[in-house]
Amino acid sequence: MKRKMDPVDVVIVGLGAGGGPAAKVLSEAGYKVVGFDKGPWLRPEEHYSGDELKFQNRSYLWPDVNLMPRTVRSDDKSEARIFNFSPVPSNVGGGTSHMAGWMPRPRVSDFIFHSLHGELEGASLADWPYRYEHLEPYLTKVEWSYGISGLAGADKGEGFRSKAYPSAPLPPTSFGKKFYEGSNKLGINSFPLPMSHLTEGNALGRPAVNRTSFWNQYGDPTQTRSSVATTYIPEALATGNFEVRADSFVREVKVGKDGKATGVIYIDPSGLEIEQDARVVILALGAIESARLMLLSSSNKFPDGLANDSGLVGKNATFHEYIFAVGLFDRDMEDPLHGWTGNYQSGGSTHFYETDESRGHIGGGIIATTQIGQAINAIMPGRPTWGQAMKDADRDYFDYSMKIGFILQDMPQETNRVDLDPTVKDAWGMPVARITNKPHANDIAMSKWQIDKNQEILQAAGAKKTIPVYLGDEFTGNACHQQGTVRMGTDPAKSVLNEWGQTHSVENLFVLDGAGFPTALGVNPTLTIMAHSWRCADYIANIYMKGRSERLNLSPIKKS
Amino acid sequence: MVSKADWEIAPIHIDPDTTEKLFFTDHEWDTIEAAAARIMPTDHDPGAREARVIVFIDRYLSGIDYLYAAADGSGFLQLADKDAHAARARNANMQRLYREGILELDTKARELRAPSFKEASDQIQDEVLEQISGAPKPVPVSLTSREVYYSRLQGNTDEGKSFFDTLCLHVRQGFYGDPVYGGNKDQMGWKTVGFVGPKSLKDTMDGTYSTAEFFIQEYDWEDLVPGFKHSQDPTSNQQQNGQ
Repeated sequence: MKRKMDPVDVVIVGLGAGGGPAAKVLSEAGYKVVGFDKGPWLRPEEHYSGDELKFQNRSYLWPDVNLMPRTVRSDDKSEARIFNFSPVPSNVGGGTSHMAGWMPRPRVSDFIFHSLHGELEGASLADWPYRYEHLEPYLTKVEWSYGISGLAGADKGEGFRSKAYPSAPLPPTSFGKKFYEGSNKLGINSFPLPMSHLTEGNALGRPAVNRTSFWNQYGDPTQTRSSVATTYIPEALATGNFEVRADSFVREVKVGKDGKATGVIYIDPSGLEIEQDARVVILALGAIESARLMLLSSSNKFPDGLANDSGLVGKNATFHEYIFAVGLFDRDMEDPLHGWTGNYQSGGSTHFYETDESRGHIGGGIIATTQIGQAINAIMPGRPTWGQAMKDADRDYFDYSMKIGFILQDMPQETNRVDLDPTVKDAWGMPVARITNKPHANDIAMSKWQIDKNQEILQAAGAKKTIPVYLGDEFTGNACHQQGTVRMGTDPAKSVLNEWGQTHSVENLFVLDGAGFPTALGVNPTLTIMAHSWRCADYIANIYMKGRSERLNLSPIKKS
Repeated sequence: MVSKADWEIAPIHIDPDTTEKLFFTDHEWDTIEAAAARIMPTDHDPGAREARVIVFIDRYLSGIDYLYAAADGSGFLQLADKDAHAARARNANMQRLYREGILELDTKARELRAPSFKEASDQIQDEVLEQISGAPKPVPVSLTSREVYYSRLQGNTDEGKSFFDTLCLHVRQGFYGDPVYGGNKDQMGWKTVGFVGPKSLKDTMDGTYSTAEFFIQEYDWEDLVPGFKHSQDPTSNQQQNGQ
């Protein structure tokens, strides 16, 4: 028999980059909020450390693929196979607990991609239902509350910014300095990319980041990485209006006779099925799992999935493949590059962000020089796998190689999508997300052009050999970025959400993660997800919840 | 259920010099130790044998007790419920993969007229490894050849790999992993390649371990980012910080 909890104002499913800001804004506005996460609530100072084997090879933070599988195929005719596609930590904090923390702003052009480029054959380009200017105040709010370091004004193509960063960036690493040298030789505007941490003497008065080697894909035991688990979640809890229910798997959003969401059904840590009613339901599970939960929540009114009357839930998924080029340097001529130093990236560029059709593709993205990693998994494509040749390669190049990566802005395609796998089930017995994806010709062209450019920069920096890693036949989801499955727009026939992340057909259901993004952006999505969530939560708190009467509350005209 | 946040810590420690076998038989231990020594050979720097990679692999295969070190290295996490079931199933597969792989190493060695893999010469052992890898022994990295690669998942689990690929990955893990897992004795692996790792896992938890000294100490953003001027930017960080 189902148990029922006392109703609350708002339920948030997923406590990562999308759910964190919403939890803060809504509980600070005085609403009773319950946040669910299917993963645990880890304690950084107790559970995180610099253990490469545990975090990189044995996936301590990523979901166990045998318990929470996903399946992948390249088209409708291929058989899907189980693969840990776009894994993000399943815990309170979500992707913000393992991410390296690139936090660049989107650009003005990102919001009008269709207007700028028109139709691209085979793609489903769209404009966003709002513009950069609408998001800018929220980008600033996040930078100044979450804690971001950066160098305002150093990115020459950046859009308007109302305020500088609260913290200066970290100094360059040795490989970062090489990157600047190579870029400058080629006239490329490069700069310290904004990062989700603070450095000494920051304006927020918080501790400076721990300059460890163990950063990308590791949890941060010192809590000096800005993560929602150490910023917005504690701030929400401090209001007394917010409750976290970890290890709780939400398996369905319920819908009432009037077509509005009434709450959720979840499996609690002891395996009990429990109902939680709420006035508003917010999904923020990441674009793959948000779409999956909507498809799982079919009902008489929505037989094809919740709020899926357009048939678009799950479609137009974008994943931002991470690709790169590696340069090997001559140890007899160079000082060591110490490619394991610091907090993953050191120096990047958006020089190739805007469309230049002479390159043979539209769009572009962000590049950055990054750690090659620690010793077990140090990145060296084609490294000999055994014998003296392997040992020599490790000894010669571990400290004498560097990598320049690229966040590939993939084009949205309706056929790239998430649906429910017909056979594979997760540890709770529910059908898993099946991902169908194939790169667009524009993605392949962008991959080739930019990685070749990254090789040029490495050569200008002095690399003796460069090794390209291009986009393959399928996305692997290795950027762990998920966008687009529940796209926003102004036309209910061509989108699922409006500009507030509110579904067109279920007025009290909101999706506040990257799922709403109609196009993928050329930058890492987390800052934009957080600012978007804040903006939508502001709308929910100050306009939607108060209702029409209060919105039209005009002051009476005084009679003299 | 016991949440992952509340897994118990068993206060067990691995002595890198131990010869006590938790999974392997004597013969299996010697065979894998010999193969590991061909995968990460000893030269003027230590190899798999000196770094006690065999202890690392034996503990890993023995069950799920040594899967995750406690964050501070004070013992090992005891998985519970669903996670423990999934890990045990994987471990059983891994044990089978190794047992079958060791039989194959011996069979191939005997085909080359050696009494067993562990008693074969280095040359015959390499020949056996070539055969089970399905490719010639790797040659040194060339700075003049050109290769092209395609993207893959970050992280490098040992799921779904062949015995040979699994063994190569485990040798790397045992040679370069944190010494708390039983390999990389005295940080031999790290010293071999120049990775300045932490003295202990505990040092990575409170900021004691830092790579700050390896950052560039003298720099000026106006040199690194030509055209950028702190003073001309009305909203520069420095002005904000000075308020």
